[in-house]
Amino acid sequence: MAKAFVLDRDSILERLGGDEEIYSMMVDMYLQDVDNNCTAIASAFASGDSMTLQREAHTIKGLLATFSDEAGAADAMLVEKQAKNGEIDGLADGVAGLQQRLREVAAVLSAG
Amino acid sequence: MHNVLIIDDSDINLTLIKALVLKLGDCSPILFDKPISALEWCRSNVPDLVIVDYMMPDMDGLKFIAAFRALHGRNEIPVLMITANDQKDIRYDALLGGANDFLTKPIDRIEFSARARNMLSLRTGQKFLADRAEHLSALVEERTAEIREREKELIFRISRAAEFRDPETGAHIQRMAHYSQIIAQGLDLSPTMQKLVLEAAPMHDVGKIGIPDYILLKPGKLTPEEFEVMKNHSKIGHELLKDSRSEIMQAGAEVAISHHEKFDGSGYPLGLKGNQIPLLGRIVAVADVFDALTSERPYKRAWSLDDACKFLEDGRGKHFDPLCIEAFLAGWEQVLEIRQRFRDEEVPQI
Repeated sequence: MAKAFVLDRDSILERLGGDEEIYSMMVDMYLQDVDNNCTAIASAFASGDSMTLQREAHTIKGLLATFSDEAGAADAMLVEKQAKNGEIDGLADGVAGLQQRLREVAAVLSAG
Repeated sequence: MHNVLIIDDSDINLTLIKALVLKLGDCSPILFDKPISALEWCRSNVPDLVIVDYMMPDMDGLKFIAAFRALHGRNEIPVLMITANDQKDIRYDALLGGANDFLTKPIDRIEFSARARNMLSLRTGQKFLADRAEHLSALVEERTAEIREREKELIFRISRAAEFRDPETGAHIQRMAHYSQIIAQGLDLSPTMQKLVLEAAPMHDVGKIGIPDYILLKPGKLTPEEFEVMKNHSKIGHELLKDSRSEIMQAGAEVAISHHEKFDGSGYPLGLKGNQIPLLGRIVAVADVFDALTSERPYKRAWSLDDACKFLEDGRGKHFDPLCIEAFLAGWEQVLEIRQRFRDEEVPQI
């Protein structure tokens, strides 16, 4: 399990060229989509569809990286790689961990 | 205004890239979350820059680029592909598949702006070169047409120079050239060939320039010796024109040497027979004789149209190629129109 998410607003803003408007828009969209993203990866895992699971993990990797959550993105990458190799049997914890991480990041962003 | 096509199945990425594209200025973002829909749009629209994600359902970025590049005229449009940092192999494949550059996630605004601006500069350069090429091509076409017109005028004036020395007129040249074109049309020659016939026919008698006045302008019948000299105009015309690089002049040379040949082999200068006589010569022979017969000269009255037609009919297979006679008579309405259009008295003297 990755260590707790700490919001590094400055590094995110630096990547966005210091644009507060874009930052706020990104946070809003993340918060709007977080439930859908959690549902999508859970469904992909439940259906045993390794390709869809790989893609959903890839999407989550990108989302978490956008908010400079390198640890969360690394966990998503592991799930993505295993799904790519078709090794989805042992991924229950990994998938649950990603859902939890998405919600954790959402909570921090909401508070921040 | 640059049209920037953005394709990503993630709404948050689409929104982010759209915002970054708008920050570039002078750009209009066009968003698609499905590559298939984007491809459909590209069939009738040309973007100035394509930004496409790699991992998407149904069609990934590599497949999209391949399909996009296969569309007509989309081979040069810059494409930026978005990949994750750990997708080095995919970046190699994308480069080979037609991507111009990459963006890695998470997207960095500075890097994005630099790469997108580079790609748009490339596109601006492409458009400039394409416009310039089009402009130059139009200019070349215009200048070529001018040169061709000048060449035609020059040919007409050279032909007139020869005709000036005998009783025939500029109208004769015009009429016989158009009659020749009517025959070419009746023979189903290509439009290019018909035009060549029209342009080359006026040079048929250019060799008369080399015939002494006492023969050329003699009001009465020529003696056999004088006629032998007169016959040389075919060869002189051919000599004058044959080495030209101009297609019209070369055709003129052929007309000059062959328009007095006869289908049965009794003509001059070579006594060629039937299809040995170049087609241009067979065509011009009919047009030239018909106009000479139906025109008034100081030494003869104009023949009636009926008598002239009978002369042509009687000369089928003897003097004239039967197919050329047929083609000429088939265009009779046009023949009458040409006679009306180019009447001797109405031709301005040069």
